[in-house]
Amino acid sequence: MQEEKLVTAFSEAARAVGAEVSIVAGVEAVVDYVKQLATGSVIVPDFASAKRLDLVPTLVAAGVTLVQDDLRQGAATAAVGVTGANFAFAATGTVVLESTSEDIRLATTLPEHHVVLLDPAKILEDDLAAVPYLRTFHQNSPRNYLAYITGPSRTADIERVLTIGVHGPKQLHILLFSGLSDNPLEM
Amino acid sequence: MSKVRAKEYQVRIDHALATPKLQDALHKFGDAFLLAREKAFSHYDFEALRQEIADCKDEVAAHRQQYLDQFITNAEAAGAIVYLAKTAADANQYIADLARTKGVKLVTKSKSMASEETHLNQALESAGVRALETDLGEWIIQLAGQRPSHMVMPAIHMFKEEVAELFSKETGSEEPAEIEHLVQVAREQLRQGYLDADMGITGANIAVAETGGIALVTNEGNARLVSTLPKIHVALLGIEKIVPTLEDAATIIRTLPKNATGQLLTSYITWIRGAVPCGDDDKELHLVLLDNGRSALAESPQCRDALRCIKCGACANVCPVYQTVGGHVFGHVYIGAIGIILTAFFHGLDKAAEIVRACIGCRACVTVCPSNIDLENIILSLRETIGHEEGIGVGKSIVFRKVMRNRKLFHSLIRAASLLQKPVTGGNRTIRHLPLFFSSLTEWRTLPAIAEKSLRDQWSKIPQKIEKPRYKVALFGGCANDFLYPELGIDLIKVMNKLDVEVSYPLDQNCCGVPALYSGDKETAVALAEQNITAMLKDDPDFVLTTCPTCTMALQRDFVEFLKDNPVWAAKAEHLAEITVDAAGFIVNQLGAAEVFKGLSAAEKVTYHDSCHLKRGAGVWKEPRELLTTSGRELVEMEHADRCCGFGGSYSLTSHPDISKQILGDKVKDIEKSGATCVAMDCPGCMMQLRGGLEKQEIDVRAMHTIQLLAESLE
Repeated sequence: MQEEKLVTAFSEAARAVGAEVSIVAGVEAVVDYVKQLATGSVIVPDFASAKRLDLVPTLVAAGVTLVQDDLRQGAATAAVGVTGANFAFAATGTVVLESTSEDIRLATTLPEHHVVLLDPAKILEDDLAAVPYLRTFHQNSPRNYLAYITGPSRTADIERVLTIGVHGPKQLHILLFSGLSDNPLEM
Repeated sequence: MSKVRAKEYQVRIDHALATPKLQDALHKFGDAFLLAREKAFSHYDFEALRQEIADCKDEVAAHRQQYLDQFITNAEAAGAIVYLAKTAADANQYIADLARTKGVKLVTKSKSMASEETHLNQALESAGVRALETDLGEWIIQLAGQRPSHMVMPAIHMFKEEVAELFSKETGSEEPAEIEHLVQVAREQLRQGYLDADMGITGANIAVAETGGIALVTNEGNARLVSTLPKIHVALLGIEKIVPTLEDAATIIRTLPKNATGQLLTSYITWIRGAVPCGDDDKELHLVLLDNGRSALAESPQCRDALRCIKCGACANVCPVYQTVGGHVFGHVYIGAIGIILTAFFHGLDKAAEIVRACIGCRACVTVCPSNIDLENIILSLRETIGHEEGIGVGKSIVFRKVMRNRKLFHSLIRAASLLQKPVTGGNRTIRHLPLFFSSLTEWRTLPAIAEKSLRDQWSKIPQKIEKPRYKVALFGGCANDFLYPELGIDLIKVMNKLDVEVSYPLDQNCCGVPALYSGDKETAVALAEQNITAMLKDDPDFVLTTCPTCTMALQRDFVEFLKDNPVWAAKAEHLAEITVDAAGFIVNQLGAAEVFKGLSAAEKVTYHDSCHLKRGAGVWKEPRELLTTSGRELVEMEHADRCCGFGGSYSLTSHPDISKQILGDKVKDIEKSGATCVAMDCPGCMMQLRGGLEKQEIDVRAMHTIQLLAESLE
């Protein structure tokens, strides 16, 4: 019940800032979603739930072109980046990504589309509930790059008119995928 | 005072006033901002949040060295290289040297006000390094060769046509003036820069002592690219950005976007600690901690609260002066109310001297400040400092020091003036035109004539019909009530007598001192405070009533502040503050007597103008409305009811009449639009301004003090 409420609040808040929120069941649905977006190559950095899902081989089998060796070079021209999320919070529709691995950052900053897989069980209430996890991340690793992502990239720098997609992703797609991972410390 | 500097400043004002398109944009922005902000905070307790931020920042300021050490130790443990820069030049030198040593050709930058403060781009250029701004607004002004006119939206003063022209020059093809297209142009043009740059420079919104990490609050995504792709990351940040814990950081992040842009949260919050992976290696992270006047600011008891600032820009958004002239006039590098203060400490008193006077003192900024900074008070103390350093001008000096402090001389000069003004008043109560070089003063508003007989000179002959008074109160009239509008005092007696209250007028009372204080002459203000305390407490009244909210603030707040360390005066000042209350508030709160006026008035359509110092100083705004509606009048709210009318005392008469005129124009439009036939207020200064503006424009709306309207109800 509580989870349902949080999922609803999260989805509303995320949509309000321009994110696409969909419910998916199974890796095939993820592949279909990505394939439909991919006008070019797709970058999928290493993350735990992708491995468990066999996401990369399934995408390749479906005919999706993946950025393989040099992710730095490849990310700059990729159409889609796919990552997980460590957790999220409902109040502002925010996904939290432990992005210390550079590959996660490349996949979430350069392509026009960012697809995030999120287990709805990992939606917390708000930014204050996120702080203990933030502290644990800091304790577990000596260096960190952590990202709160709330909607796509935006600007209002010309005549205060809200415009989506300036330097970062133009679209943020959040795929709610139950049973993916219940550990906020892993992606 | 520097004449050259003052002249250049006036040229900038004239230029800004000649750009109505900019004013229009800033007004619309101010309106939209307030709505978005209110919505963003609808589920949050703003007062609690801002007190938390203030407490956290005060804690850090009180233990500066401890938190600085903690932050540096943790940052270094995580592989960052920390450099403490004493001055702007020091910071620039460090970064330019680093770039040179590492063979850096191109730097990409995300938005950093600290780098604007130090003029880092010029320093890099001199070192042969190209700096590319990537924040859209910053890039626009970099291409235009300008400086930011707003802390959050640097190019808010520019229009899409101008941006299209700049971008067309950059791309070499004709770029249409469509915003979405221009944003796409920026995306494409700047993309390669991130990949080619050898160094990325960011600022930081927060530095967390607990972790040694920084947090960036951004929307565009460029800071993420700048801090990811280049091999070297330099973050330049002021030492005041340090907070103790992640919880403190969370409080700021919870508040900043809502108060800056009305967003619940920005698109990206980026937490960076230490030398994170970069390619096959680790990143080289340099944290340049900038002092540049911050320690001096922390040592200033009057001004140090300014260090709490989290750079949201809200103080500018709501400021009527900013909305009228923009950030290129009302600011140096940092703009708006906070900009005045930071400029004085970061760039020098000389750079702040003109804009310190540009504040009209309306306190709109104080109500929206997310760090609970009393900006107006700090600006006043800076005015005093500048008054000391540069003098306040010979004319003012004579008026305040020689004339005002000598009450008898002051008042006999006013009496003399009331006789001498006959040629211009023609015996009328209103001056419509002034001759020669005074003519500009009555071009856009009429001025009230000095009354033939002041309130003090007729007081003893005004009958008071009262047998057993409930209270004995003393009226503090203030100059306007006494010499311009004595009839207001007579009306007050009528209203109070109806409520069984007897009113006295202590004749030794003098000017409240605010004009001297606002002009930077605190010494005179303190002398007047002592005179007034003695005069008002002489007969031990139950209450001291005021009809002017600026006087109210002087009696309630300033006298206490001036004399708090003076054993002879402190307790008296506090007692006077405790018993001082404005007339409308007194009727509603102390007497609970609004009902006495029930239905006594005709159903006139009245709109109410909130005077700055009554609403945002004394906290009174419901009470006069209650009195007006209870008396049977129909209250129709105007838009921006609590926006300043532009009076500001000498602000409208001598220091900034042209800005005052514009702000009055806005107010008159709002009054007219309300459809009311009368505008009520509780301040003789506002009354002088509004009556003057309405009369000059021949708009048939009466401008009346609430007490006058209540007296009418009794007729």
